[in-house]
Amino acid sequence: MGWLATLRKQETTHIRLVSVLALTILTLAITFVLSPVADSQLAGGAAITIVILGLSWLIGWSGQISLGNSGFMAVGAYTTGIWAHHHAASPLVITFLLAMLVGGLSGLVVAIPSTRLRGPYLAGMTLAFAAAVTPLAQNFTSVTGGEGGLFFNTLATPSWFGHLFSGVNASIDSNAQWTADLAVAIAGVMFFFMANLFHSRSGRAMRLVRDNDVAAELMGINLSRTRTLAFVVAAAFAGLGGSLFAIINATVRPESFPLTLSITLLTLMVLGGIGTLSGAVLGGIIYSFSPSLVAHVNSLTGVNPTSNLGSNMQGIIFGALLILTMLFAPRGLTGLGQRLRSFIQSHM
Amino acid sequence: MSSFLSSSFMHNIFGGLAQGVIYSLVALSLVIIWQSTHVLNFAQGAMAMFATYVGMTELERGVSYWWCVLIAVVVGMALGGVTERVLIRPLYGKPEINPIVVMVGFLAVIEAVATSIWTSTTRTIAAPFSQVYFKSHGQLILLSPFVIFQIVLAIAIMLLVAALFRFTKLGLQLRAAALAPEVARLLGVRVNRMLTIGWMLSAGVGAIAAVILASGSFGLFPTDMDGVFVAGFIAAAVGGLESPIGAIAGGLLIGLAEQFILAYWTPDVAPLGGVIILVIALMIRPQGIFTKSVGRRV
Repeated sequence: MGWLATLRKQETTHIRLVSVLALTILTLAITFVLSPVADSQLAGGAAITIVILGLSWLIGWSGQISLGNSGFMAVGAYTTGIWAHHHAASPLVITFLLAMLVGGLSGLVVAIPSTRLRGPYLAGMTLAFAAAVTPLAQNFTSVTGGEGGLFFNTLATPSWFGHLFSGVNASIDSNAQWTADLAVAIAGVMFFFMANLFHSRSGRAMRLVRDNDVAAELMGINLSRTRTLAFVVAAAFAGLGGSLFAIINATVRPESFPLTLSITLLTLMVLGGIGTLSGAVLGGIIYSFSPSLVAHVNSLTGVNPTSNLGSNMQGIIFGALLILTMLFAPRGLTGLGQRLRSFIQSHM
Repeated sequence: MSSFLSSSFMHNIFGGLAQGVIYSLVALSLVIIWQSTHVLNFAQGAMAMFATYVGMTELERGVSYWWCVLIAVVVGMALGGVTERVLIRPLYGKPEINPIVVMVGFLAVIEAVATSIWTSTTRTIAAPFSQVYFKSHGQLILLSPFVIFQIVLAIAIMLLVAALFRFTKLGLQLRAAALAPEVARLLGVRVNRMLTIGWMLSAGVGAIAAVILASGSFGLFPTDMDGVFVAGFIAAAVGGLESPIGAIAGGLLIGLAEQFILAYWTPDVAPLGGVIILVIALMIRPQGIFTKSVGRRV
């Protein structure tokens, strides 16, 4: 395994590019064997992965706790919805860039007061932002469509892709898979960006600010600019994730982005491992599997899935997982994996 | 005088105060926990909601309103004590994100459990006070016996808490344990027990806020306290999380601000009212309006 260790040590942009490409292509290949339902779950997981990448960067690398990323997602989703409403024919790339831009701007607005705050103040402040987003979307009916939300269909499966499919459900299959492939490809691109950002000058500055802000300031790092940058990047990622979410569902509504979504994001990030790239991907995978996981727990415990308890099982499981992980394995699955690896190495 | 009392300005004052005392109670409960354990309890609202729902269930079995209030407070206090012992105690000395994450997880669990037991519909408890507004010379005044009860009860609770901290031996021990745990321990104060009592006290105060909310005309639903928690947090943060007086003043300020934005500007931006107040307050004084500045040791 010596060459692998050397490779890991000499990790460069090229190697990162190759590994992300390999991972993305593997996932794309998997979509060909998945059912349409599993494909759409995977698409949602890819969108969530992008959001968690941003959150992990913000909480893990810059040390700023945000409970407001569902709000940034809502901003990206509504940007997409409003843009698609008026310019249905515009290319998707423009829509995504716009969602990232507006999402990032909302991050800047939240960051200006927030970067002066620490810990619980910051968490509460971002929570207040996320809590304000849903009522705002409900109230500004003329722009947001109010309770009913906005409907749009910007995701047209290209005909060459459609030709790959045959059979009775060809159009359903091809649509579901095109959505999943698109989401996975975008998640791959964003993963590559974040991997580079983690190892960039800004990434190193960010960690120093987190661990010792006085030392960072003495090194000439501008504290508030670095902290603001962390927020803007996280919000742009969340904006893109929200935009993908809206496009996958072809709709955006106020209740799509409740406070509980912020809690879910936090749970997935903590489960995967705070501040790790692989943790974000694990979080996305867990999100994809969560409906099946909840159904499995319901059938194991004999709870009727349509009963009150059954329909609230996800909240109970996720909340309990969040508590247990934080109490007993605060570094998440990635941390457990590292412990396992060092255990094996020391016993071989 | 009567025309003044029924003027739209006084309408908004009464409405804002009635809502504000609820925020004040939640803010006060957050400050009590913050002072004793330096944890911002994100599940505070949900815990209060849960306790109130237990009380309401007993009400449906035929107990009186006052028993229902008492049950809610006792359940709330028990929940607070157990939470501190089981979820918070293992986290003392850990990074400050850990208790935040744990309490956020607890919030999700409580709300999901409450929704699965009691469904997500709104429930009310009928308080033994009329909700019909007073009239003066044929003009409506936005005050009812219930609103007066609500304000009086909140003030009574605040005075009770203040008296407990100021005039009793327990209060002195609580303050000592919060201010200088090591010294207090050497002087024979059982610091760990004080932390648990602090959480119980706080959860009891929070339960009163949820009971008042549930007794009003709008009732209570399982996620209702999310918004109240946010407003209560903003109120406590404006006051600096350390100051009980600041928290109470902050709560009244948020209640009045929401009411006046609603009445004189546009209801569309009312949800942002609290956030705007918090931003302005924190820009002026990041440590809170009512606290003394302290240096941070590095």
